[in-house]
Amino acid sequence: MKKEEISCKEVIHHICESLGEDLNSEKCIAIKSHLDECANCKNYFQTVEVTIDWYKKYNIELPDEAHNRLMSLLKLNDQEK
Amino acid sequence: MDEIKIIELAKSGDRKAMASLVKMYEKTVYNFAFKICRDRDKAENIMQETFLSVVKSLHQFDGNSKLSTWLYRIVTNHCLMEARKFKNRHFVSIDDDEDGMYENKQVVDWSSVPYKSTENIELRKILDEAISKLSPEYRMVFLLRDVEEFSTEETAKIAELSVPAVKSRLHRARAFLRNEINEAFRK
Repeated sequence: MKKEEISCKEVIHHICESLGEDLNSEKCIAIKSHLDECANCKNYFQTVEVTIDWYKKYNIELPDEAHNRLMSLLKLNDQEK
Repeated sequence: MDEIKIIELAKSGDRKAMASLVKMYEKTVYNFAFKICRDRDKAENIMQETFLSVVKSLHQFDGNSKLSTWLYRIVTNHCLMEARKFKNRHFVSIDDDEDGMYENKQVVDWSSVPYKSTENIELRKILDEAISKLSPEYRMVFLLRDVEEFSTEETAKIAELSVPAVKSRLHRARAFLRNEINEAFRK
């Protein structure tokens, strides 16, 4: 799936909207200039993204015995075939 | 056969259809329960409780939401009930120290970390330890919104929270987990 393209303007707009600030307000202009230059923020967003990705990929297998115990408990083990 | 038809048959008492529904969702429920409680035995117990509730209450499912959303609400409730059995367990408080979470602490270059696969035991241990420090109420929101990819509104419905509460818990949980992992890499 193609990732949604997003412009810097949209990013600022989204942040400023969340803050209830006008796009041309002093606060928003300061945010834009900060994001342009801040390696710390860039690193922050990248590492949060990696964090989420790791938790997403960390899955475990449902053991066959656990499946069988569940079906027996629900009295559905005769419906397996 | 599509899911709606299977649900209708299961509601009318068709046991084969009920078995199909269980098989369609058991892995999802087990994994979600594990992600919340980080314990395989507890995850199995929660999965069993969840499906006992499903069998008992499927007739109440009105089809206005997706079955998966309804199921997540049930499993989420069972996870919270399980967590409340251990009331005395201490979790890190992240309600007040918002500034601390964004301090410019020394950030490790994550691209140089040797174990980046989630199959790696070291990384799994770090992820388990980090999320175990979060209270289940925060864990739940992070997992529903970021890991299971429900929308903010759906997450709010499932967790029975307001949308602003979901947003607030989400960004605190994200920042906390990212900081904990970063700290573990520094050691």
